[in-house]
Amino acid sequence: MTNLATIRKVDIDAPPPPTMRGGSKRKRGLFLGKHALLVILALGTIFPILLVISTTLKTPQDVRVNPFGFFSSFSWDNLVAAWTVGKFSDYLLNSILLTVPSTAIVIVFSTMAGYTFARLPFRGRTVLFYLVLLGLLVPFFTYMIPLYYQLRSIGLLDTLPGAILVMASLGIAFGTFFMRAFFSDLPVELEQAARVDGASEFQIFVKIMLPLVRSGMGALTVFTFLANWNNFLVPLLYLPGGSFRPLTSGLYMFTGGRSLDIGPLAAGTLITILPIIVLFAFLQKQVTEGFISGAVKG
Amino acid sequence: MSNASRNTAPTVTRRAQTRLGIALIIPAMIMVGFFFLFPLVQALYFSVVDYDGLNPNPKFVGLGNFQEMLADPEVWHALSNNVIWIIVGTISPIVIGLLIAMLLWTVRRGGVFYRILFFLPHILPGVAIGIVWGWIYDPVSGWLNQALGAIGLKDLEKGWLGEPSLAIYAILATAIWATTGFVIVIFLSALRNVDIELVDAARIDGANAPQRLWYIILPQIMPVFMMVLTLTLVGGFSVFDIIFVMTGGGPANATNVLGTYAYQNAFSLNRIGYGTTLALMITVLSIPFAIFLNRLQRRLSLQGMGA
Repeated sequence: MTNLATIRKVDIDAPPPPTMRGGSKRKRGLFLGKHALLVILALGTIFPILLVISTTLKTPQDVRVNPFGFFSSFSWDNLVAAWTVGKFSDYLLNSILLTVPSTAIVIVFSTMAGYTFARLPFRGRTVLFYLVLLGLLVPFFTYMIPLYYQLRSIGLLDTLPGAILVMASLGIAFGTFFMRAFFSDLPVELEQAARVDGASEFQIFVKIMLPLVRSGMGALTVFTFLANWNNFLVPLLYLPGGSFRPLTSGLYMFTGGRSLDIGPLAAGTLITILPIIVLFAFLQKQVTEGFISGAVKG
Repeated sequence: MSNASRNTAPTVTRRAQTRLGIALIIPAMIMVGFFFLFPLVQALYFSVVDYDGLNPNPKFVGLGNFQEMLADPEVWHALSNNVIWIIVGTISPIVIGLLIAMLLWTVRRGGVFYRILFFLPHILPGVAIGIVWGWIYDPVSGWLNQALGAIGLKDLEKGWLGEPSLAIYAILATAIWATTGFVIVIFLSALRNVDIELVDAARIDGANAPQRLWYIILPQIMPVFMMVLTLTLVGGFSVFDIIFVMTGGGPANATNVLGTYAYQNAFSLNRIGYGTTLALMITVLSIPFAIFLNRLQRRLSLQGMGA
């Protein structure tokens, strides 16, 4: 836990430490070399993303002849085809219908449970905490197959609520662990003072404590949203019928059906990753910080 | 789970706390119980029966599935791919990530920009990553072969994902592309806490860059180092998405890992019992590593090395 607490407070945008002092010529050469290297690495990193954009924006004829040449023609045809014929408009809607409720469930339930595990002791709490912790250790693989038959037997297989609940349950172990760390950091004096003033335990939780962990809830929201948006196995396994297919499994099915249709496939890939890139562009700090603190879950 | 108010609170307060505590915990526990603990116990049952997904009273086979697993050459082959994945897929992102983080550490202007770019692949879905890299590896018009041809290395052109001996490494390269940015960001956040005066002092004492890294910087970021190691190691056992999308375990099972082989058995061959047994093995293999490294990491951070 020590780690989580310290890492979370690290300001990743803090000014870097003073660099070495040397001759100004040497410094300049070092500076240029460093940046040249970084530019090359950065180009290598975003190259595949540029490739998706380039292939999406080609004319269908050009895709057939020269699928991966960079920006050699321009048309919206592939995007239109993916959106309408490829049903990516449906997939996008389904992704939202899956991700938003499951993320909301994770945030609400984890915050509640995290508060209990941090500040409301009762007999048996430790045992329950270990059960939640077990969820962090056991990979989804281990129980995904029995879960399939369990969902089938109670009629939740191939339904939106079924997939939403499974996705939410996947995030709750980590979310609880994460929120507990935030609540544990708050000083005891706060709740004691509120208690003296006559606040009930529930009021202390909602009015005093909750506002103080808002940053933690924000990071958890972004983190969980991305995890659920990108989740591939849950829709692949538990939404086999195809009427509720989200972007990830929809994109996968699209590759199986017509592997030669590279243009619309590129467009579908772009539709899948674009919301993530936009989200990241606006919330890059929350995303990276969420992932850094999220890393401790191992 | 220390809580200073525990012993000082009066009984009335404690009773109220218990009541609220239980109320707040119930929704989460229901989810955990129903969608995790119950299927987990079911998994143990599935591993001792021969279940085909239809028969309501599957035959009890005892340890039969485990015996079959040990004798199945494809299990050992898949496991060896997991081991390759773990070794290469752990070392490469850590080494590359640490070097790039060191490079970025001293960059004043534009550091944030690079960090964002490097991190981006980590948050993209595996399906999309697999598709794009499939194009890059395309034997005819893919960028990799085109680039090799352009610089006069036509002999090195390959059908990267089609050759059994190469495919797993081609997928690994993709995975390294996707994870390194994450490692960079983690290391960067740890480097911010490194005592720069120590590094400067070592420089004045004549320590060269590798020595400074090894003796001064690495010990200070050790807990974070162990954390990254744990994550990539444990992830190496349960790798699935990217292999499933890029090759589906092929060509001719060449890129099978335990995850894809378990999936194949359970959902393509209807061998539910056997598939579940394989999946259980993934857990059994990965949990000890996770616990061991977690302990180590905690001990290191307790020594006040300031993660």
